[in-house]
Amino acid sequence: MGLRRVLLSALLLACAPIWAQVPDPIKADPKDWLTYSGQYHSQRHSQLRQITAANVSRLEAKWVYHMTGQKDLEATPIVANGVMYISQYNRIDAIDARTGNVIWQFQRQPIATGAQRGTGFWKNKLFVTTSDKHLLALDARNGSVLWDVAVHDDLQLAGQAPLIVKGKLIVSGNLPHGFIQSYEADTGKYLWSWSPIPADDDPQLASWGGQKPDGAPIWVSGSYDPELNLIYYGTGQPEPQWAGEGRTGDNLYSDCIVALDPDTGKLKWWYQNTPHDTHDYDSLEMPVLVDADWKGQPRKLLLQANRNGFYYILDRTNGEFLQATQFVKQVDWLKGWEGNGHPIPDPAHDPSVLGTTTCPSTSGATNWPSPTYDPALHLFFFVAQEGCGVNLRDSARNYAGTGYLESPEAGKSWQLFTRALDAFTGKKVWDYEQITSHHYGPGLMSTAGGVVFSPEEFGQFTALDSRTGKVLWHFNTGDVITDSPISYSVDGKQYVAIISSSNVFAFGLPDGGGPANGGPK
Amino acid sequence: MKALYFIALIAAAAPAAHAQEADRYTNNTVAIEEGRGLYNGACTACHGVNGTAGEIGPGLAIPGRSYARNTDAQIFDAIKHGIPDTAMPAHQNTLDDDQIWKITAYVKGLRGTAIDAPSPGDIVHGEAVFWGKAECGSCHMVRGRGSVIGPDLTNLASSRKINSIIAALTSEQHRVYGPGGLQPHNLVPLQTYRVVQVTTLGGKTVRGVLRNEDSFSMQIMGLDQQLYLLDRAKLKTIIYEPKGLMPTDYDQRLSKVEFDDLLAFLTRLGSPPTSQEPQVRMPGGRDPD
Repeated sequence: MGLRRVLLSALLLACAPIWAQVPDPIKADPKDWLTYSGQYHSQRHSQLRQITAANVSRLEAKWVYHMTGQKDLEATPIVANGVMYISQYNRIDAIDARTGNVIWQFQRQPIATGAQRGTGFWKNKLFVTTSDKHLLALDARNGSVLWDVAVHDDLQLAGQAPLIVKGKLIVSGNLPHGFIQSYEADTGKYLWSWSPIPADDDPQLASWGGQKPDGAPIWVSGSYDPELNLIYYGTGQPEPQWAGEGRTGDNLYSDCIVALDPDTGKLKWWYQNTPHDTHDYDSLEMPVLVDADWKGQPRKLLLQANRNGFYYILDRTNGEFLQATQFVKQVDWLKGWEGNGHPIPDPAHDPSVLGTTTCPSTSGATNWPSPTYDPALHLFFFVAQEGCGVNLRDSARNYAGTGYLESPEAGKSWQLFTRALDAFTGKKVWDYEQITSHHYGPGLMSTAGGVVFSPEEFGQFTALDSRTGKVLWHFNTGDVITDSPISYSVDGKQYVAIISSSNVFAFGLPDGGGPANGGPK
Repeated sequence: MKALYFIALIAAAAPAAHAQEADRYTNNTVAIEEGRGLYNGACTACHGVNGTAGEIGPGLAIPGRSYARNTDAQIFDAIKHGIPDTAMPAHQNTLDDDQIWKITAYVKGLRGTAIDAPSPGDIVHGEAVFWGKAECGSCHMVRGRGSVIGPDLTNLASSRKINSIIAALTSEQHRVYGPGGLQPHNLVPLQTYRVVQVTTLGGKTVRGVLRNEDSFSMQIMGLDQQLYLLDRAKLKTIIYEPKGLMPTDYDQRLSKVEFDDLLAFLTRLGSPPTSQEPQVRMPGGRDPD
């Protein structure tokens, strides 16, 4: 090594130690939060344990960062090597995760304010979905554009965070019907597409009763199992949304959990949560991957609390249905079950011109806000919405449109709960009622310190005891929360962050206020 | 947008056959509801649900838009005879005059706030009913007179639509719907005036309207007109009462004349809104540019 190179190396080490190591989602160092769900298995459970159930009552705000020109942000922040990245369509702001000071901003015109839910980090690259059908990669160091490609087939990507596996960027969208696409993360080169609309030679085409298949939008990110080499995504409702009479049959692959090969985009298996849906029960709630003993046998499981009111356990190697447990008080859209976990929808609850009361409501017994799984306690935490809805259609003709309302009947109004289930029996362990939260709500995060961070719709950021659901701490962020919390650490200090409307809040323990690595091991 | 102005110009120039005629269905909730049904059957394809603009015609009730046809007769005329040289067709062969008047009443209800089209009647008598028989002042305030339990009504007519004032007087449904869809928008406690009765651990009972609450605290305006800032952890019982304090049978407890005159008074409370930004410069501030 020549002198010049030695000097250069020394200089690099002195000035830019942050970039010396590239965080890798496979290794999943808990100090980083590299993907939408924190890790590929989407458990959203931080292994950091400095903040614990015993000391969380001393949590204090460390900084606030205002993302100018924005409101009601839905993005989950990404953190890599002490830098936090907040995304919107056409935009990423990079901020010092210790102080909230902005480091760089990337803004492609125009300034957008849609429902965009995050970016992804891969080998010092970040990815931007644009509002004009482009996909970009930025250099995470300063926001420089590394590549910029038009989305294949001239499609608009939905706002969910991209998933990056094995150097492949996985993105998806809704129109003209659902789709998943893959691009090479290093170059932007288009690789493959998958459609939930059956191809002409697919026998499942028959599940549409001769009507042209439509719908199945894909607007939430997915999970990945590196060992099985499968990605798991949910698909949305069939179209026409409220009129099912023309599309007789199950309408595959709408309202499904699907497993795809990330190298080819080929469908490995599918499970349909809601056949022949007329209530917009999108299966887009995050599939959570867990390895555990199931009835005495080690199994690779997939857990999902679905919008239709059931908590599902599947074998994620092959999609085998193992169990479904009702998790809200009222569910009446189905008549019963037939073999292999196939529910039978009740046509008496189809939408009507005068309105049909159905439980759960179309806003869902739960929805896209993220659930979490605590592998030590075997608890599954998520936001449950009790109550029912009224489904309407504007005429009796096929392809009728319209929407849904909250049921005005007593005992059927909407109320959100942070709910803990025994992950394997599906039985409720505890409930925390989020007073004044009625619709969707933000997602959750649990930690190895025994805390579930549970933001509430109108701005309270609340910490609950993972074992009991008891409130340990809360902070009023002052505005609506529509995203999910994350945790990360910098210089040995653990932080918890949440976005409230256009403001990012970071919390930590008081400086010198406790042992650096305290709490239960 | 140009096309929209063009339509507005044409509309302004069009002769109004019923220029002096007032809609007898104004403020008639039953007729307005029928008008809504007729509107939904005949008008939404072009003008959109709730007058929010459809794919062909302009919105009929859009904040900030000014209208060429404002009077009952002008709206009636546009529906009955159509608007020449535009896509607006005549409806005289599909709707009778009675139906058109009902649609007119509904469209007026969609537009603006009550002060833009105040209800006819004896205002002086209406004010007497407000403070007297109707006992509105026991909860509400107008220009400094009255109580602080309910919402201040000083600017009622410049902030609420006439339909919503009528609904508040006659219906228990206070829910509002967000723009552009059927999805209901839950009112936050600041707007609901839900009645709550709480007992503290010390045994003190407070009954009043909920100004706000969250999972940890409550802010209650007591019936004694005192503000109570309470912690849930320090409350023994919390009872949410199913009914609000506001009577919703004013069409029964008042005579027709009393009700109409009260409405005439209520629909004049406030001043017409201005769309202009305040032209006040504050030296020493950061330049807005």
